[in-house]
Order: sequence, then C-alpha cells, then structure tokens
Amino acid sequence: MSERKRLLIIDDDPEFVAGIKAILTRAKYEVDTAYNPKDGWAALKSKDYDLLLLDIMMGRGAEGVMIARKLNKDPKLRNLPVLIITGIREQIAFLFPGQAVHPHFVPVDELVEKPVEPKLLLEKVESLLKAAEERKAKAK
Amino acid sequence: MKTYAYFPGCSLEKMAYSYHQSAIETTRALGVELKELEDWNCCGATAYFHVDELLAFTLCARNIAMAEKEQLDLVAPCSGCYKNAYFAREALLHDPDLAEHINEALAEDNLQFAGTSKIHHLIEIFAFDIGPDAIKAKVTNPLKGLRVAPYYGCQILRPRKGKEDVERPRFFEDIVAATGATPVEYLLRLRCCGGALIITNRMAALSMVRNLLECAVRARADLIVTACPLCQVNLECYQKQVNREFGTELNVPVIYFTQLLGLALGIPPKRLGIGSELVAVMPAIEQALRTEPAPAAT
Amino acid sequence: MSAVTSAQPPKEVDAGVSFVEEINHLLYAAKGNPINTCIQCGTCSATCPVASAGYMDNSPRRLIAMIRAGFKEQVLKANTFWYCASCYQCTVRCPRGIDIAELMYGLKRYTVWRSEYQEGLIGPSFSETFVKMIVRTGRSYEPVLATSYLFTYGLPEIIQEAQTATALMLKGRLPLLPARIKRLDNFRRMIRKIIPLGEPE
Repeated sequence: MSERKRLLIIDDDPEFVAGIKAILTRAKYEVDTAYNPKDGWAALKSKDYDLLLLDIMMGRGAEGVMIARKLNKDPKLRNLPVLIITGIREQIAFLFPGQAVHPHFVPVDELVEKPVEPKLLLEKVESLLKAAEERKAKAK
Repeated sequence: MKTYAYFPGCSLEKMAYSYHQSAIETTRALGVELKELEDWNCCGATAYFHVDELLAFTLCARNIAMAEKEQLDLVAPCSGCYKNAYFAREALLHDPDLAEHINEALAEDNLQFAGTSKIHHLIEIFAFDIGPDAIKAKVTNPLKGLRVAPYYGCQILRPRKGKEDVERPRFFEDIVAATGATPVEYLLRLRCCGGALIITNRMAALSMVRNLLECAVRARADLIVTACPLCQVNLECYQKQVNREFGTELNVPVIYFTQLLGLALGIPPKRLGIGSELVAVMPAIEQALRTEPAPAAT
Repeated sequence: MSAVTSAQPPKEVDAGVSFVEEINHLLYAAKGNPINTCIQCGTCSATCPVASAGYMDNSPRRLIAMIRAGFKEQVLKANTFWYCASCYQCTVRCPRGIDIAELMYGLKRYTVWRSEYQEGLIGPSFSETFVKMIVRTGRSYEPVLATSYLFTYGLPEIIQEAQTATALMLKGRLPLLPARIKRLDNFRRMIRKIIPLGEPE
C-alpha cells in the first residue's frame, strides 16, 4: 500500500467519531466525517473512498441499514468495503433482548459493536482494505 | 355508493367500540361503505416514533399498502392513526429512497406502497365528502335545543397539511348544526386533552381535562362530541378522577360525533353503542329526542 | 455546516460539532427550519398546554436556548420532551417555522438510544413496553401497558385507576385477551428488515 487510504466515517456521535478518527489518522489514514446519513451520502457521491465506517442508529432510526442497501444498488459504490460499527444492541436492547445483530446488509461488510478497541479497529480496517485490493487485482 | 378502506385502529376494537358501531351505522345511512382492512396493524401510536421513525413509517405503510391493494382511499376514525398514516404517506411520497427501503420490508408481507390511496379522517368524510347539507336532508330527529360542544382536539388539524387555517376551523360546528343541535362556542375547542400523558404524566393530563371540561360547561354545553377515541377516554372516563383530584363536580357526557349524527338520523341509541359510557348520556339527550317522533326504545 | 469535515491533525480535538449541530444532524430529515433560527419569542411556551400549566421543568423556549448554549447534560435530563403531548400547537404557531414537536420526538429518540433520561419518568418505559408489544402481536393491548406505569403510582392513584378500570370492564370496554394480527410471521420478518436485530429469519 503506497498511497494513503481515504476513509469516511458516517456516525451521529461526535465524541465517538473524534475518538476513532484520532486513532485512524495516527495510523496514517486520511479520514473524512459526516454526522448524518444525508451528508454521508453526499460525501460518498462526491469523493472516492477506500472504506466506509458506518453507524446504524442515526437520524430517524436504523438509517445505516438504508445506506448499506443503497450502496449495494449503486454500480459505482457496491464494491466499497463497509465496516459497520454499531451500538444498536445497547441502543434498543429492550426490543430483542439478548439477540444478535444481523450484519450482512452488503456482501462485503463486517460488523463490530461499540465500544471498539483501537487494535481491533485497525485490524478490521486493514484486513478489509487488503481484501478489497485483492478483489481489485483479481478483477484485472 | 362510495367505498373506503377502513382502518379502525386498536382502540375501536373494545375501548371505543361504540365509535366503531356508530361509524358503521351512520356511514351506511348516508350511502358510504366502510370496508375494513383485512389484517391491519397498530399505527405505532406516538411511542414508535420515540424509538425508530423508520419502523413507525413501516407500520403505517403496511396499512396504506393494504388499502392500495383494494384500490381504495384509507379512512381512520382515530386522530392519532390518521395523523400517523397521513404523514407517513407524505414522507414516503417525498423521499423515494425511504419508500424503496420500506418497500423492501413490505415485500415480506407481499405488499407495496405506491402512494395511490389518499388518507382521510372519518370526520372529513362527513364534513367534506357527504357534506352538512346532505346530512341535514337525511335527519329525521333534529336534536332541537341540545347544546353540543364540538371538540376538535389536536391531530385532525395539526400539524398543518398545507396552507389551511388551523386556528379557525368550522367543519365540526357545521356537522353539529346539521343534526339540529346548537353548536356551543367555547375557547378550548382546539386545545389538547392530554393525549397519552394520561399515562405518562397523569396530573398534567387531568388538569388539562379539567380546564377543557370546565370551559365547555361554562359555555352551557349539555354534551361534548369528539372525533377521537383517546380524547373521548380522557374527557369522559377520567372525569371522576378529575373530580377527586381537584374537588370539582363535573358530570358532562362525552360521545362520538357519529353517535350524535346517528341519533339525528333516527338510529336507535343502542345500535350506536350509547349506554357504554361512564357518564350517562340519556339524561342529557332525552329531552331533545322527546320533542320529535320517538325513536325506537333502547 | 459543511457536508464533510476534512481530517484534522491527530492531536487536535474535533471541535467541529457543537450540541446544537448534533441536534440538527439528528433532525436532518425534519421539514421545519433549524433551531438556530429561533428568536426566543416564547410563543411555543405560551401555547404549550403542559408548560403553561407549570408541569415542565424547562419550557420549550428555554430548552431551545439551552440546546443552543450547549447545555447538553441539562437538556437530556429535562422532562420537557417526555411531557410533550404531541399536540403540535407550538409547531403550527412558531413564527420561524421550526417544527418544535418534531424536536421533542428527536430528543426522545436521542435519550432512549443512550438511556440518558431523567430518572423516574414513565414515558421511556411506556414507549419501550408499547413498541415491544407491537413487535410481538401487531396490535396494542391496554392491560399490558398498565404494567409500565402502575408501579410508579402511590396507593390513592392505584385505587382511582382500579375504579376506572372496573367501571370500564363492567361496560365491556376493556379487552380480556390481547389481539394479534393474522400474518404475524410476515409482519415480524418485515420489522427485521428495518431493524436488523433478532433471531435469523
């Protein structure tokens, strides 16, 4: 990996975003942020990103699912790796107590639950980026 | 005969069954058919919007989609159900991404939202589709001398749907007048009854109910009519608790506008569900009914 | 607000997002004007039947001022939005076109997601009980709802509630059994398409 990878975070929690952004920037990633789904989508459409870090509960509800589905239908964005970072189980835990989150909104995504360890975050980001590179190489 | 898809909502199954009975009776008498949605679900009330608005939209969209399948406009007698359905449809119509997302969920129940069915409150059918003149023409027992306070409540009028005047509506008064009764003018006709605060903040809701009832009684109302099951329950079933908490002696009957209409149309009180109230209705209406050819006994 | 904030040097704190912006992000899909446009005229508080009767610890006008001043903690712990009855009088009368009732809904969501509301309120547990019930049956059922608030009542209130319930029961107005919709399996799968939680389909 020669050039700096560019990441986008879409998450409504400024404190959380500030935290993971600091970690990722220190690891030499270029990081953009958006705090609501609309701004997030606009960013995805205006710039090329290598990876998306996506929250689920934002704005009106589980809007991260909506973004993931929209990505999957977009011919240009469908191969963008997505790391879902969510606190949904905690946020609406009372609804389905003890039950799991279904992670696969898009074929290539991964899911981690908040709070996320810096080491784990960097590992996941790296392996998703690597897998994407390999896919790209294979396609060529 | 004009037909509507009818979404009664959870309250009308039991708590407000008399609203259901009188809605069916009066629409039939005026040449309108209400065809109940075959497997309707709860509209989400207000609680769903506190957790996930997309989920709340989905619940409403399922009911709307069932009406669309029947190619009928949707009618809701409950102001909460009406507001939720109306604004869910608006949200989906103006946001194709949202509609697509929710349609993906609706597909699990073999349904699709397209926006082809409009949403009406039951009172709009009487006020605008049928109209006061057509009602008047069918009245056999004009309720002369009966002073009736029409209570609009909130969600029939608010939030605003377009540029309409939400401060000075008259359609409810016009319906009351069509029955031969006298619409009572009182200040708090558009003021909130407390809604679900009756559960989440009992004293606040009881004080709101008290203000409303006292205002209507001071304007010499014999009877209050509502167009929403939650308003009816708050204003009527909690009167005793208001008296207990505030030392008042309120005892004013509160019925649905469809029950009032039904009486004027000569439908026997029992078929309108009159008799299921906690504040007796008959003493207030007997005189008005007696002045005309006697309706069938209850 | 710019759509995208570009990266800052690592040591810098992300000073970009104030509390009022956070609330604006939460309400990004709302139709009204952002609360930054509020002129503190007080129409909302005067027209609010709950605030004007003295039941809110912070009136809607004051709450908006607190949001703009960045009093996050105090805002989240206020009872204002949990005591909003959704009558929309503030929304239709606001001269600046702010959808204040929608703001109240937004704050309810925000605090439910973080479990950060004022202690002792019935609203949050009532909402949770209600939503859970609909997810299970598709319909609402009054007796189940009572469990979410009766425990907070003192004896005199419980007696009054019991008297009202008995009177309603005698008139046949209380359901004895919960209703449920017919296509419940489809309904539950539908919900899981929107909220990705729960057992696999």
